[in-house]
Amino acid sequence: MAKIIGGLGTSHVPSIGAALDKGLRDTPDWKPFFDGYEVGKQWMRDAKPDIAVVVFNDHGNTFFLDRVPTFAVGVAETYNPVDEGWGPRAIPAFEGAVDFSWHFVDKLVERHFDPMVCREIEVDHGLQVPMELFFGRPDAWPVKVLPIWVNTIQYPIPTPQRCWEMGKVLREAIESWPGDERVVILGTGGLSHQLQGARAGFINQTADRAWLEGIASNPEPYRAMSREDYVEQFGSEGAELIMWLVMRAAMNSDVNLIHKHYHAPASMTGAGMVVLENAA
Amino acid sequence: MSEAAATIPDTPLFDRAGSIRGYRINKMAMALGQPANRAAFKADEEAYLDSFGLSAHEKSAVMARDWHEMVRLGGNLFFILKISAVDPTPITRIGAAQASMEHEDFLHLRLGKKRNG
Repeated sequence: MAKIIGGLGTSHVPSIGAALDKGLRDTPDWKPFFDGYEVGKQWMRDAKPDIAVVVFNDHGNTFFLDRVPTFAVGVAETYNPVDEGWGPRAIPAFEGAVDFSWHFVDKLVERHFDPMVCREIEVDHGLQVPMELFFGRPDAWPVKVLPIWVNTIQYPIPTPQRCWEMGKVLREAIESWPGDERVVILGTGGLSHQLQGARAGFINQTADRAWLEGIASNPEPYRAMSREDYVEQFGSEGAELIMWLVMRAAMNSDVNLIHKHYHAPASMTGAGMVVLENAA
Repeated sequence: MSEAAATIPDTPLFDRAGSIRGYRINKMAMALGQPANRAAFKADEEAYLDSFGLSAHEKSAVMARDWHEMVRLGGNLFFILKISAVDPTPITRIGAAQASMEHEDFLHLRLGKKRNG
């Protein structure tokens, strides 16, 4: 069976990619943010995964409102970075973990999920930025990817509980896969931010810091929270944090919080990461 | 969900009503992901907006870069950000416009940045 070697949670703010593109990594605004990810990058170098499962949302780049899948799973050979309006980015395409992705789709449907299955699709910053944060800017990505899209744009978005259940199926898929690949799971999005309405610019550092601890040691309250609770505590776009629950549910109930980092603001967002390993 | 969420002050959620109301604006903005459409937008903005069937009110909100009004008309930030990419307009200026604050005040009071920092 394949092995889950770690669960990561991270922000995927597009300005992070833009800062790297423009060479702003070491400017006063960005240096503290990127420096805090160095331990995550080192963890990734040591962990040597074969497959990265990336749970993220599209931001009106790949899916328009003509069709909005609540959950979508990629089974493509290759995922190109999508042009989000600023022009193409100079990062390599992502190679798909095709066979494993189909296996996950099989498991999902067997367990009564109904995902959209995507064979030809591009990926936006929701997947790009987490990969850059943990793998840097290689000539080719050292892992194959399994992308999972969660609708967090148009309501109704899925419930936190549903994201949790998907994580349970993800774990089952990994453990029932006959290969011996090493799998890392990236739950992405958040932390607190709000881009729309008169409350725009809302950041809740207290809730963010509690999240980074609680997602490791006591995720149950976050699973039980309503979508309204997420919006209230983390802002309208901060509700993206429900996607970390897919990652967390795939891990053991007991995990070790190996690394943690928080910085605010990154652009308009409370930003950070955790690295979790299953407790022995 | 949408009724309950509407009780969170100053926090519009992009629900059924918004999606229907903002469909044309968002479709127009989504198309700016393609270079040819960006060129058409830059060359003759009003003609580009007409080609997506925007109303006079919607057009004036876009052409005035009235981000607050675009959102009120159902524009979703993730789509209309592509307009800001053409300009370009920093996202924090869009945030400040929605909060009805001066940009410097917004950076300081909402995002916690140091003044002049």
